[in-house]
Amino acid sequence: MMKHSVIITPEHVLVDGNPLMHNEKGSASLTELYRNHIGDYPKFFKMDTLSKLGFIASELLLNAEGNRSFEPREDRAVILFNRHASLQADTAYQATIQDPDNFFPSPAAFVYTLPNIVTGEIAIRNKYFGETSFMVIDDFDEKIIIKNLENAFQDPITKSIIGGWVDCSDEEHFEAKMFLMEKEI
Amino acid sequence: MDELIYTLKQQIIEALNLEDMKPEDIDENATLFGEGLGLDSIDALELIVMMEKNYGIKLQDPTQGKEIFKSVAVMADFIAKNRTK
Repeated sequence: MMKHSVIITPEHVLVDGNPLMHNEKGSASLTELYRNHIGDYPKFFKMDTLSKLGFIASELLLNAEGNRSFEPREDRAVILFNRHASLQADTAYQATIQDPDNFFPSPAAFVYTLPNIVTGEIAIRNKYFGETSFMVIDDFDEKIIIKNLENAFQDPITKSIIGGWVDCSDEEHFEAKMFLMEKEI
Repeated sequence: MDELIYTLKQQIIEALNLEDMKPEDIDENATLFGEGLGLDSIDALELIVMMEKNYGIKLQDPTQGKEIFKSVAVMADFIAKNRTK
């Protein structure tokens, strides 16, 4: 059963279908959302755009759920999908090693060169110790995503899932369609 | 030395994405890791890269970082004595 949903694009943000106003465009809108609705997690500024997007979407989702608790739990999984893997972070890291005369590989850029880092960021923030996974698929396909999330509920531990689509090809092109699902008993 | 300390603070803020922080906010004698600025192990690696890039200092032994990155003042002193650019 889907309980809450968040959609984020460079142009608009919807929480449970209701628009959330912001002035900035592109990745600057993610920083604006962080400052206006979160603001207590400076590690946000170190993240790549994909992780920022997933982090903001999950925060808005969990704020919509209410009763935020940071108690450790195993019964909530984080299962995400996208098309471009960690392309933006890969490109940023490549820029630090492209020029042989200016070759300074950035450890901070390198740590984000895997798409599943975003699931880890969400799990660390919320102390989730359940399943985390990130799957790269050809395109957004609701059937594939829902099917995989339903399969995850076969696990006897998982009672709810933060799941959906978190995709970013560069700082100006991204899309999140994230939702909170609960197991139907 | 004061100018180097100020420049170093600016470079640390930029290299580590310490958003919302100004050089004046950093106490040059405060510890950089743990209680101080709360930096982590990735930040330590980034500082090693920053020292090589900006000052031509290549740390042969990464464990040296524990002593060198004690504070901005200690770091500035090490840079002043070892810089090649």
